[in-house]
Amino acid sequence: MCSSKTVRLIFAGVAVGCWLVSAPVLAAQESPLDLHSSIRINFPPKSPIVPLNTSVDESRATPRGGVMVVDLHMALSLRNAGSQHIRGVTLLVTAQEVTPGGKASVAVPSLDVPPGETFPVRIDLRLLRPLQLGNTPLVVVSLDGVLFENLTFFGPNDLNSRRSMTAWEMEAQRDRKHFKTVLSAAGPDGLRREMLDSLARQAERPRIDVRVSRGRATSAAATPEQLAQFAFLKFPDSPIEPTNGWAEIAGNEARAPRIEVRNRSSKPVSYVEIGWIVKDREGREFLAGSVPGADKDVLLPPGQTGRVLQDTTLRFSRNAGEPVTIASMAGFVSQVEFADGKVWVPDRSSLENARLLRVLAPSPEEQRLTELYRNKGLSALIDELRKF
Amino acid sequence: MTRHPSESLLALFAGGELGRFGKWRVERHIEGCADCQRDVAEFSALRSEVAAASDMPEVDWNRLAVEMKANIRLGLEAGACIEKRPVRMSFSPRALAACASLLLLVAAFLLERPMPRAAEVKAPEAAILEASGMGIQVKEGEQALMLLNPGAHDIHYSATGGAMRARYVDADTGNVTINNVYVQ
Repeated sequence: MCSSKTVRLIFAGVAVGCWLVSAPVLAAQESPLDLHSSIRINFPPKSPIVPLNTSVDESRATPRGGVMVVDLHMALSLRNAGSQHIRGVTLLVTAQEVTPGGKASVAVPSLDVPPGETFPVRIDLRLLRPLQLGNTPLVVVSLDGVLFENLTFFGPNDLNSRRSMTAWEMEAQRDRKHFKTVLSAAGPDGLRREMLDSLARQAERPRIDVRVSRGRATSAAATPEQLAQFAFLKFPDSPIEPTNGWAEIAGNEARAPRIEVRNRSSKPVSYVEIGWIVKDREGREFLAGSVPGADKDVLLPPGQTGRVLQDTTLRFSRNAGEPVTIASMAGFVSQVEFADGKVWVPDRSSLENARLLRVLAPSPEEQRLTELYRNKGLSALIDELRKF
Repeated sequence: MTRHPSESLLALFAGGELGRFGKWRVERHIEGCADCQRDVAEFSALRSEVAAASDMPEVDWNRLAVEMKANIRLGLEAGACIEKRPVRMSFSPRALAACASLLLLVAAFLLERPMPRAAEVKAPEAAILEASGMGIQVKEGEQALMLLNPGAHDIHYSATGGAMRARYVDADTGNVTINNVYVQ
């Protein structure tokens, strides 16, 4: 027979064991993240924007199987410490020990932040990392660039954010001018119709899922490859003329696009981007993405011919995995940067004439203005247009 | 069937979870009912989205099976060894308590100790960029960096060279936000 002392001893042993077993497991279920150990904000000393406040509320780390899932929700409050209005900001986000070759960025274009004012930037990210990694800062947020109203730029520009933000600002100026012209020519009713047209286009725009990998992807389907030629939509005022282009097509995969272009302007060109439209067998057109110039900019003198190419594979699908078989492709010049840093984007009438508006996503500014109209109405939109 | 089937019946039908008779009845109805056809299509799409959004980590079932088989074999062999040496069992409550505590301590130590994974040899997987309903990500094997777009409703995705982009209007700030992930 067991004595009561022995029974107590058994219970105590089991209790201590259970606690030892369950404590680390329960503790590892979900833990809030500490701001200082999980994030490092790294802005250059003479930065014209200054981080005032960072919050990581609702950020969690949760073990799942052999990996740790880290959900980081950062709210940054930044102040314009410069002397000019800010038009755009790009922040570089790196998690080096998680994705050695990968990085991310969060850009906020279409801003109008006067000197001394603060503005918010949200960064919501999820990391999947092995459990055994140490406690070094998970994420480093640094400044890649700031664009001002006179199109001057500050920042290391590692991501070529100067070019991207300048192009977005050019598109913003183009689209604001268009909507202001509509307002002055057709009044508030005309502007309302224009907004409704834009919202309808955005809703009806065919969507496609694209998966990108470097080099040649390993496709499960052994579909025979063929070399498909691009058809080009040409704009009369484009400084670059695409002359010939092709890509390898296999089922729903397109790889290694190569496009020959000629500089027909009087200035040397440092970067060209070709918009890429694919058509499926049912005749539906989708914007697949764009083919940028070489990673390291190449100077294309006036009258010279160069080549835009990309060593990636794009795989197209829709409705969560249904492959989209590519029947044909078309291209158009979507962006050109000159050696002096000026950027060309197609004008609104060129896009309308080429019937590209129904395929392309709206510019960031058009997206912002239509959202403003949807949320706050026509008078708020008119007030916004009058600010510029 | 003159009345429309309930939403739950349509959802079960979309998931292939109805019995034969129920399936036959719903099939008969939706053949002539465009509204219910649309509902079924929406439920199917929703199921696909949910399936795509779930990101359960990959489990190496083969390795797990091999380990389990090895453990079972080890257990059988250990059992056979014990069988060969019959010992006289004498019940001692103190010894039992000590053994139970020791066993739990060992289990606790084993569970808490981080498992070394360096011995795992896997072919290097190429980094890929992809979009899901939650955001865009650069993924390399089991590791991933994903930029989320919580609360955004009109998201425009695009691929440019070695980058993928998601653009939306932030519901809180009203600012356009452009997320990019890159692969080198």
